[in-house]
Amino acid sequence: MSGPTERVIKRSVVRAVALYAALIGMAWCALFPILWALSGSLKTEPGIAEPNLFPAHPQWSNYARVFSLMPFWRMLGNTVLYACCVTLGQVFFCSLAGYAFARLRFRGRDTLFVLYLATLMVPLTVTVIPQFILMRAFGWTDTPWAMIVPGLFGSAFGTYLMRQFFLTLPTDLEEAAVLDGCSPWQIYWRILLPHIRPAVMVLAVLTWVNVWNDFLWPLVMIQRRDIATLTLGLVWMQGQYVSRWPVLMAASILILLPLLGVYGFAQRAFVRGITLTGFGGR
Amino acid sequence: MTPDRRRARAGRMFVAPNLGALAVFMLFPLGFSLYMSFQKWDLFTPPKFVGVANFRTLFTADPLFLIALRNTAVFTVGTIVPTLLVSLAAAAILNRKAKAIGIFRAIIFVPLAVSSVVMAVVWQFVFNVDDGLLNTMLGWLGLGPVPWLIDPGWAMVSLCVVSVWKSVPFATVVLLAAMQGVPETLHEAATIDGASELRRFVSITVPLIRGALSFVVIISVINAFQAFDLVYVLTGGNGGPETGTYVLGIMLFQHAFAFLDFGYASALAWVMFAILLALTVLQLRFARRMSLEI
Repeated sequence: MSGPTERVIKRSVVRAVALYAALIGMAWCALFPILWALSGSLKTEPGIAEPNLFPAHPQWSNYARVFSLMPFWRMLGNTVLYACCVTLGQVFFCSLAGYAFARLRFRGRDTLFVLYLATLMVPLTVTVIPQFILMRAFGWTDTPWAMIVPGLFGSAFGTYLMRQFFLTLPTDLEEAAVLDGCSPWQIYWRILLPHIRPAVMVLAVLTWVNVWNDFLWPLVMIQRRDIATLTLGLVWMQGQYVSRWPVLMAASILILLPLLGVYGFAQRAFVRGITLTGFGGR
Repeated sequence: MTPDRRRARAGRMFVAPNLGALAVFMLFPLGFSLYMSFQKWDLFTPPKFVGVANFRTLFTADPLFLIALRNTAVFTVGTIVPTLLVSLAAAAILNRKAKAIGIFRAIIFVPLAVSSVVMAVVWQFVFNVDDGLLNTMLGWLGLGPVPWLIDPGWAMVSLCVVSVWKSVPFATVVLLAAMQGVPETLHEAATIDGASELRRFVSITVPLIRGALSFVVIISVINAFQAFDLVYVLTGGNGGPETGTYVLGIMLFQHAFAFLDFGYASALAWVMFAILLALTVLQLRFARRMSLEI
């Protein structure tokens, strides 16, 4: 056998091993806090110091304790309700406005769109205080309305995203429908919306995850336990049961699971949305 | 009605609900916030016009503002520099063709979906001084124990560590997408010319993904500059220990929702907005100059 071929094979084997070692190392870095939390959630309080990933006697009762220490199901229901309402509203109103901005000519349209773009620059820090005062003036503080209505009718961000997708659709799709006498609503609802399903998915996943993870807004808006979200519930629990790691970790894992489910189900749409918008970099 | 007029009317109607929400929840708050920044107001007594007094106090009479500004700058740099270095390497590795690379990508991007609040609680557990994972592992190497969340300096380091963990996947996703757009032929040509792998990465890939790098920097600066959730949950809501993690986001929250000094907090919000705008413009200028030189 010739030496050089052997050396080439050897080198490519070494490179493959190095590549997979690097990949496994990176995967470990991404997952170890979550795995460690999972492991901690199955330990006893005195046994928490043991540095083993797999506790000898998994304490599933820690999860049962979470349900007795916080109204978990109630908070889960609230969070799902808020996330679903806001997501449905965002998808509907943003795609409707996005379609108008992309395809329907009306006076002042382009000026209005520049205004939309300008508001994208406004950071959350500037709007959170006046929004709080607005909610107070409406009498909505500490009610579910504060969690749902501000996001229900769409946002500049979502509208911009949907407009960009509508612009990529070929115009002849629409022209044929116009000749057939379809109204703009029929064109939007029956013809174009089915075509931008991937975009709808991107916006829906980004919005859902964002509402699920939101913290500052529920923190300033909500005091009542029975309308609180899961993130708020977790922080209250953390304040009340300081350093009771097994229960805290069990609660954290329970809040993470639905998110990881959504991520697993819609990972492509999620990653695509982040690439396109930079949203979710928080 | 002509079809054009019909479409114009439909267009206005389709935008209306969205525009209404934008006006009520975005434009009005924006104006109202500016108005408040010139008032003294605690919500319970009528607002009192104080001119630029809020801004003057902020810049001349509030030592905590300078501390918060410094901490925010340290946190922003301490997040972005490691994030960029790690994510460049990570994206380069994930850009290879290999079996099961899709699964690895999916796993490595998991932190994207995880909320800052949950992760802050989980990392508290990891940072725990007596029996936390990090100190246990350092113990095996004969190091530590490090007072992670107890010492003001180390608390800032801890904050940056979690922030980097959270932002690397985001930066990697964006950089990876850009790297996938770099034509293969350029690399092949450079290989034939005898360029090493590292050389090809530095002289071909990095210049070609400049746009994505600049995008990542801008978004990361905006996020790090306004950091709140992570800080509030990880180090206990007061920016402690001492003023170790007292960043602008915490300062804003305290003045508004703990001290009910809405005028002062609004002034702070506008100063933060102005700094962010200036940083973004500077960054875009810098990126353009770079692209002209190359």
